[in-house]
Amino acid sequence: MKCIITGGNVKVLGRAVHSLSRIGDELYLEPTESGLSLRAVNSSRSAFASFLFAPLFFQLYETGGAQPDRELLRCKVLMKSFLGVFRSLPSLEKTVGRCLILLKPRASRLVVQLHCKYGVTKTHNLTFQECERLQAIFDTQCCASSLCAPARVLAEAVVHFPQTLAEVTLEAGPGGKISLRNYVEDEAEPSKTMVTELWLAEDEFQAVAVVPGSRITFCLKEFRGLLTFAEASNLPLTIHYDTPGRPVIFTLDDAVLEVHLVLATLSDPESDLQPPAANGVSHLPGPSDDFGDDLESYMIAMETSAYEGGSGVPPSPTFPLRTPGPAKSDPEEEEEEEEGAVPGTPPHKKFRSLFFGSVLTPGGPSLAPTQEVLAEDSDGEY
Amino acid sequence: MRFRAKIVDLACLNHFSRVINTIAKLAKTCTLRLTVCKLYFILSDKVANGGVSMWCELCQGNFFDEFHMEGVAAEHNEIYLELVPENLSRALKTAQSAKAVKIKLTNKHCPCLRVAVELPSLSSSSRIVTHDIPVGVIPRRLWNDFREPSVPDFDVSIYLPVLKTMKSVVERMKNLSNSIVIEANLRGEMNLKIETDLVSVTTHFKDLGNPPWASEDGCQSSAQGRDLERVAEARIDIKKLQQLLAGQQVNPTKALCNIVSKRIVHFILLHEDVSLQYFIPALA
Amino acid sequence: MPFSTQPSASGEQYVLTASLDNARHLSSLLRAVHFQDHATCFATANGIRVTVEDAKCIQANAFIQAEIFQEFSVQEESVTFRINLSVLLDCLTIFGTSSLPGTSTALRMCYRGYGYPLMLFLEEGGVVTVCKINTQEPDELLDFDFCSTKVVNKIILQSEGLREAFAELDMTSEVLQITMSPDKPYFRLSTFGNAGSAHLDYPRDSDLMEAFHCNQTQTNRYKISLLKPSTKALALSCKVSIRTDAQGFLSLQYMIRNEDGQICFVEYYCCPDEDITEAEL
Repeated sequence: MKCIITGGNVKVLGRAVHSLSRIGDELYLEPTESGLSLRAVNSSRSAFASFLFAPLFFQLYETGGAQPDRELLRCKVLMKSFLGVFRSLPSLEKTVGRCLILLKPRASRLVVQLHCKYGVTKTHNLTFQECERLQAIFDTQCCASSLCAPARVLAEAVVHFPQTLAEVTLEAGPGGKISLRNYVEDEAEPSKTMVTELWLAEDEFQAVAVVPGSRITFCLKEFRGLLTFAEASNLPLTIHYDTPGRPVIFTLDDAVLEVHLVLATLSDPESDLQPPAANGVSHLPGPSDDFGDDLESYMIAMETSAYEGGSGVPPSPTFPLRTPGPAKSDPEEEEEEEEGAVPGTPPHKKFRSLFFGSVLTPGGPSLAPTQEVLAEDSDGEY
Repeated sequence: MRFRAKIVDLACLNHFSRVINTIAKLAKTCTLRLTVCKLYFILSDKVANGGVSMWCELCQGNFFDEFHMEGVAAEHNEIYLELVPENLSRALKTAQSAKAVKIKLTNKHCPCLRVAVELPSLSSSSRIVTHDIPVGVIPRRLWNDFREPSVPDFDVSIYLPVLKTMKSVVERMKNLSNSIVIEANLRGEMNLKIETDLVSVTTHFKDLGNPPWASEDGCQSSAQGRDLERVAEARIDIKKLQQLLAGQQVNPTKALCNIVSKRIVHFILLHEDVSLQYFIPALA
Repeated sequence: MPFSTQPSASGEQYVLTASLDNARHLSSLLRAVHFQDHATCFATANGIRVTVEDAKCIQANAFIQAEIFQEFSVQEESVTFRINLSVLLDCLTIFGTSSLPGTSTALRMCYRGYGYPLMLFLEEGGVVTVCKINTQEPDELLDFDFCSTKVVNKIILQSEGLREAFAELDMTSEVLQITMSPDKPYFRLSTFGNAGSAHLDYPRDSDLMEAFHCNQTQTNRYKISLLKPSTKALALSCKVSIRTDAQGFLSLQYMIRNEDGQICFVEYYCCPDEDITEAEL
């Protein structure tokens, strides 16, 4: 893969990386025919984001897939190191004229080269790991509600909440008003917590198609990250959501850019008994017998490798993914994993995990691509 | 018990925010006392606060366009609430461009001070943000705990130097020592001193002036009777002093301190419609 | 009565006295070498040199020439003492690090000799601060024996070009590798961190390059943790001269222009990292 980005687009890429860095510790790069996809998922798998930059975004874009049926190389790098390349956005704008990204499978290097003012060149040779496609299961079409607003309106709305606030509840209130409220845990003493609520009138939105009274609770940190990007790019943001517990999907669309942020939402205890009813999950067949009824086992990951049944069919996004363990163990990283949640990420138990699929492979060829697995995590039950 | 107030004027709103920010910097929780004419923010002398106490007084008329309150009874027409001033500060922080801010005492799930901010929006209707700040209603039998502290019988009263200079001096000294000695005389001279094994630093201020406190017999105490040269001094926790200097946003027109030798330092910051008193006890 | 602020006139014999009408000229230079608590001050008729060392591998010197001071006198051939630099900096900036335009902190500095404290008298807007800072036995300093005749490669760069590079150094790399060469890549800074390597290349014809005198290709590594503190000096400076000798010792000279347009220098010396064998390069 080889691509060249010039001018203001370098900063757009930089901002995208900053936004993704709010999600996870690893950045997944996937060159495809429809563009370069950058993705990230958080450690509790309750947040997923993808930025797809169309070939037109680049001055030069070569996927490097010589034959059409050959598997393109996907890789992941440490978020911290990729972010390091784009750390200072102002200086990116001021000094960088051109950015070259080169995936060198043979050298096992992802090269990011910045051509700066005064003829200075910065070359970053990043180590990467080959990996499976990272995919969350979601379908905006299946969402019962959607909202679209200029990023600025939403950015101005979230400033009223403290930076430390973990979750926010969005509700379609009476009179077409949309409200945002800080989520207060049941255990919290009401006499101790300040409750902030904000109402946006229907006409502040570009489009409102919501189920009256619908309500979801999601994490603010990742949403803020996306808002920063959307605001800087001056793009309207669309929110697709369904019942509590189903993921909320935030999308940005542009001629050369397609962005998705998928966040788990808090499930409503009362609605837990209802059968799953939306968002591409309900029509899926149940798990195979091997998995039994234990919801926990839905999350069992499978050993995979970079083999695709030669069909040329786009990989089904609904298979469990196990990303290969790090080639060299990084104790620091593992520690972080154990510590679990980054600030702003909810404890696993409260949110259902999203599910990330990938192509299956020699390990389990009998599992045909149609054998799909549910993504519900029920950590909460123990 | 009812309370409802409204600020429309932006300058008043910003001024009120600055006062609240100051309170929030100085006290984790405090008592808000509401009367027909005034608001008081009170931090009473508790050991947990290191013996520090605060008394801040505002004339409501200078801040609020509307102000209605009804106390528990006609003869005790006051309300005492306990609250976390940081919450109020946070609620006002994003209200800087508000068209109006309403503050109201409510009782939905628990007693709350509801701050409703009306913000301009791109649409035809305003954007409304409400903050429900939990408060505790203080019963009348405890009101006596929140009496205005009397001005101590000080040895020296003196105007403070430019607060910015004093803040910077105290900030450096805080890096070097845990306690600071404030000493002053009736000639308008004040020293700030620290001394450690490594270093001793003394900053000398002069020509500060001494406020003309009227004594009981009507003559000015500073002019007569006392030895002008006699120095009153107190050693106090430097962090408490630094907190006051760094936290204050009231931009006082007058600032002064009263020193009771080896007992207490009483600071008074005055702005036309706000007065802030802060008491720091001397260290042993 | 503690209100007298002037040093008792005449009578006392100071081995070092200096006055400066803007104490910030001194404090900003000292901040450029402030990466350890303690510093050794060495004064001669030419001025004062303040030296800070760490790990027997790095030495930073701030030179404050006699001309910077309005008054400067040293009664002995040389005067040396060790002092807590953090304390000295807090004292020098007692009235704040950024004074209002048009105001500045005047400084008078006196030292009576071995065993005595360093006295500082600072005045701003009529307010006077007197500081007494205890001094200590001077340390024996490292001798880098870095003389200009033994310099192999030398580059002078506008500091602007290095500032971002140093600010963004990959601190997961143990070393900073510096390559200087008459041929490509001319001047290269490299790090080798957890996530891979990074190279920063400056062409010799870059507008940032004020001088380029490289006689042979040299690649040396320096402990990044030792060089990182020099970022403070870099931030203040307008130009930096990067020199190496045959053993790979590194000298970084920072030219610093103060608000009055006077030029001062801060110099960092650093030993090459010996743990690395040529093979690894």
